[in-house]
Amino acid sequence: MVDKDINSIEEIVPAEEKSTISRRQFITGMGGIGVGIVLGGTLFKGFLLPDEVIAIPASGGYLLVDSKKCQGCNTCMMACSLTHHGVENLSLSRIQIVQDPFACFPDDKMITQCRQCADPKCVSACPTGAMHVDKETGVRTVDTAKCIGCQECVNACELNLSGAGWNFEEKHAQKCDLCLDTPFMDADGGPGGQQACVAVCPTGAISFTTEIPVQTDAGYEVNLRDEGWAALGYPIDDEGKVSPAAAAAASGY
Amino acid sequence: MATGGYVGKILRVDLTARETSVIETEKYTEWGGGHGIGSALFWDLCKDKTVSGRDPGNILTFMTSPLSGTMAPSASGRVEVQGIGTAGYPVNWFTRSNFGGRFGGQLKYAGWDGIALEGKADVPVWLDIINGKVEFRDAADLWGKDTQETQKLIWELKENEEHGWTEIGKTRDSGRTTQKPAIITIGPAGENQSSLGCLVHDAGNAAGQGGFGAVFGSKNLKAISVVGTGSIPVADPAGLLNARIWAKEEYAAAPGQRVEPNGPTFGVDPAPVFLYAKNPDGPMGPQACQGCINGCRARFDTGIANESSCQETSMYKAFDTLAHGEGTDASYIATDLVQKMGVNSYELMQGIGYLYALSKMGVLGKGLEIDTDLDMSRVGEADFAIDLITKISNREDIGEDLADGFVRAAEKWGRLEQDYAIGILDFPYWGYANHGYDPRAETEWGYSSIMGDRDMNEHGFNANFWSVIKHMMAGLEMPVSAEEYAKITTAKMVPYDDDPNMVDYSTENIYSESFAKLVVWQRHYTRFWKQSALYCDFRYPDFTNYNREDNVGITGDGEPKFWNAITGQDITFLDGIELGRRIWTLDNAIWILQGRHRDMVQFASYIYDIPLENSLVGPYYPMAGKVDGQYAYINVLGRSIDRDGFEEWKTHFYNLEGWDPASGWPTRETLESLNLAFVADALTEAEKLGGE
Repeated sequence: MVDKDINSIEEIVPAEEKSTISRRQFITGMGGIGVGIVLGGTLFKGFLLPDEVIAIPASGGYLLVDSKKCQGCNTCMMACSLTHHGVENLSLSRIQIVQDPFACFPDDKMITQCRQCADPKCVSACPTGAMHVDKETGVRTVDTAKCIGCQECVNACELNLSGAGWNFEEKHAQKCDLCLDTPFMDADGGPGGQQACVAVCPTGAISFTTEIPVQTDAGYEVNLRDEGWAALGYPIDDEGKVSPAAAAAASGY
Repeated sequence: MATGGYVGKILRVDLTARETSVIETEKYTEWGGGHGIGSALFWDLCKDKTVSGRDPGNILTFMTSPLSGTMAPSASGRVEVQGIGTAGYPVNWFTRSNFGGRFGGQLKYAGWDGIALEGKADVPVWLDIINGKVEFRDAADLWGKDTQETQKLIWELKENEEHGWTEIGKTRDSGRTTQKPAIITIGPAGENQSSLGCLVHDAGNAAGQGGFGAVFGSKNLKAISVVGTGSIPVADPAGLLNARIWAKEEYAAAPGQRVEPNGPTFGVDPAPVFLYAKNPDGPMGPQACQGCINGCRARFDTGIANESSCQETSMYKAFDTLAHGEGTDASYIATDLVQKMGVNSYELMQGIGYLYALSKMGVLGKGLEIDTDLDMSRVGEADFAIDLITKISNREDIGEDLADGFVRAAEKWGRLEQDYAIGILDFPYWGYANHGYDPRAETEWGYSSIMGDRDMNEHGFNANFWSVIKHMMAGLEMPVSAEEYAKITTAKMVPYDDDPNMVDYSTENIYSESFAKLVVWQRHYTRFWKQSALYCDFRYPDFTNYNREDNVGITGDGEPKFWNAITGQDITFLDGIELGRRIWTLDNAIWILQGRHRDMVQFASYIYDIPLENSLVGPYYPMAGKVDGQYAYINVLGRSIDRDGFEEWKTHFYNLEGWDPASGWPTRETLESLNLAFVADALTEAEKLGGE
C-alpha cells in the first residue's frame, strides 16, 4: 500500500497550481469540487503564506451518523475492531459511541467517527508521513510502519473525541479508513466497498456517502430517520423533539 | 489462556479476607459458559450447599460466555448470576437470574470471564475492577444511596469522566476507553437484605428474581464496577462478521422499519416493549443491550424510567388504572422508583394485588389485624407506590414483614393456606409471583418453573401467544396456521423432533409424555443456549420468523453458527442441548442436596382448584392445540390443573430425564452417562441417589 500512498503533499500537487486558492476558499468553499485543500508544510513552520496552499484529493467517501437513531448496542464498534484487528475490543474501534444511561434523549448518546476532513489536521501534524492520504481513494489513513508513536495526530484532531486514536496493543496510531485495510473481512472495503459498521448497524443509524457532507461542529451528524422509523414511535424531526405519537400519526401508518 | 471467546481467567473474591485469586477458565470450559460454569463453580466452591442465602458461605457467581462482548447478535450483553437465593418458599433454592446491558462485555475486556464471590466484608465495600487490577474500596459514602446515585458517584470518582478518551493506567499503553465503567449495584432494598432486593446495572438492567440483592447486602458488598480495554480473541473473525450480516439480512427486521408483529423473537422491530396503560408521549430514542440485533427499550426526553421495558412498565398499571380510570404519570414514577431502589417488580406487582385484596377484606390497614401505616385508600397513586417501595427498601412497617417475600409474610400472618385457597395470593410456584403466563393456561411455563427453582421467565413458546394476540388486536390474519406453527416449532426441538404433539396445549395433551418432552427440551435448550451461551430470552428461540417467506426462524442454525465462529469449536445445536441436559442435572443435584424430593413439587392449591378465566389481555389465551386431531389456535382458559394428571406428567418427565420417578432423584447410571460420577458419589453420601 505504501508505494501508492501520499506521504508528502509536495508529491501530489504541481507547484504551479499551489498559489491559486486562498485560505478563505479552502476553508469555506471546496466541498463541491471534490478536492480538499491543506496548507502544505506550513503548520510546522507556524505561519501561513498563500503560495503554500496546496490541494489534496478529497476522500472517496464519508460516514454519516444519526445519534438519534442509534440504539447504543455498540455493534459497529465491535465490527470495527473485529474486521481490522481480528478481536473484539471497544477501545480499538475507530468509531466511538459514548452514552449516559441516565441522560435525557437525545443527549444520551454521542457518536464520534472520523470526518475524512478536507483539511486533515492529523495528516498535517504527522512528522513522518505515516498519517497520509491514500492515493487511489483519498482516504486519510495510517501507514503503521512509519508511525513513531508521537500521537501528534491524536492531539491535532479537532473533534472533541479524537478521530485518530492510539492502538495501545499494536503500538501505532489508527483511524477510520472506511474499511480500506480490513484483513478480517472477506468483502472489499473502502469507498465503493463495504464498511463493516454500516453493514451491521441494526437500525440503519450509519450511512456511507461519496458526497462531501456539510461540516458543522457536530460533525457529519445527519437525519437518517424516515416514516418507517416514525411508525416505531420515534421522532423523525431533525431535533428529535416531536412526540412519537404525533410522529406516528403524521407518518400515515 | 485467552482463546476462542474466553479471556482465560475467573476472578475469585474472598470478601472476608479481602483477597482475590485467579481460577483458570480452562478448568471449566467443558461447561460452556454462563450458567454451566456458574453451577460447576458453585458445586466446587460452596462447601455446605444447605446454608442460607445470607450466609457468608454462600457463593455468588457472575458468569459471561464466550459470546459476551462479541458481535454475536443478542448474545453479547447478558450476565448469568447464580447462588443460593433469599427468595422462594419453602426453600431458598440455589437459583439464577441474569441481566443485560454492557457489564459482561466490560468484564471480559478487563480480562475476566466471570467472578465468584464468597465471605462477608466487615464493613460496606465496593469492588473496583480496572483490567487486571482489583481493589476493595470503602463504600461508606455509597451506602444508603439508590442505584442511580451510586453509579453516578462511582463514575465521578474516576478521572476524566468528560466524554473523552480516558486513560486508565499510568502509561499510554495501559489502555484507554471512552466507555463509562459498567456497574452492578444494590439499592437500599438490597442493603437492608430484603429478598425483594435486586442487582441493578445502568438504568434498566436488573437481576431481580431470586433475591440476590439481599445476598450482596449480607456480604456488605454495595457494587462491582468494571472497565476494561483488552481484547477478546475470536477464532474466525471474518466468519463471525459474515454470520452477523447473514442474520441481519435473512432474519432480522429491515433496519429501522416496522415489521409483522410477533412475540419476543429474533425478527421483531426495534420498538420498545411498553405495557403501560398509557405509553410515554414525549420524544424517545431506542436503547439496546450490547450487540443486540434489535433493542427492546428506550430513553426518554424526561430521563424518567429510562431503559425500562416489558414487565416493569406494567408493574403499577392495574392499580393506576383502578384509581384513575386510565394510565397516568403514577405508573412511570413507580417504574422509575423500583429501578432506583432496586426492588423486584414481579414480586411487587402481585404483592400489591395481595395487599389490596387484604385491605378490601378488612384484614390489612391502619389499626387492623395486619397493622400498617400504609394508606390503602391511596393504592394507584404515586404517593402509595413511593410509600410502599420505601417501606420495603428500608424494612420499615410492613416492609419488615415482607423482607422474606409476600408468601413468607402470608405464612407469618397465619394466612398462607386460606389465601392460596381463594387465589388472592398469586404466587403459584416456589413462592414466586405469577409471571402472568398462568400454569393453568400456559402449562409449559408452570411446569418448567415448578420443575426448576423459580418463575422460569423463558418466552420461547410464550412468543406464539403474543403473536396471536397482537394479530387479533390489530385485526390481522396470522401469517402461519397453528398446524404450520407446530410443524416449524417441533422440527427444531431435537432430539424429540419426531413428535408433532409436543406443542398441543389442549387439556387432553397437557399431562402426556409429548408435553413432558416439550418441557424437558425447554429445560435443556435454555440451560445451555440461553443461560450458558447467553443468547437473550427476548430474541431466542426463534421458531417462527415472519420476515422470511417460509416463516422459519433462525433457531437451530443460528445458535451454533455464532458459537463456533467465536470459539473455533464445531458443535451442533443438539450438542448444546445435550450439554444443557448435563448442566440441568447438576442443578437438580444441588436442589436435592438442599432437600428437593418429588413430593414437594407442587403448585399452590388454587392452581388445582380454581379455573383460570382471564389472561393478561382479557378472556383470551390462544395457544396451539389439537381439536379433533387437527391443530388450531385454541383458547386455553377455563381450566385448572388436575392433581392426578400432574402426577402422571411428572412421572413422564422423570423417566425422560432418566431419574427415579419415585423420588425425582437421578440414578447413578444416568449421572455416569452424563460424566457426572462425582455427583453420583455426593448423592450416595447424602443418601439421595435415585434407585435404578
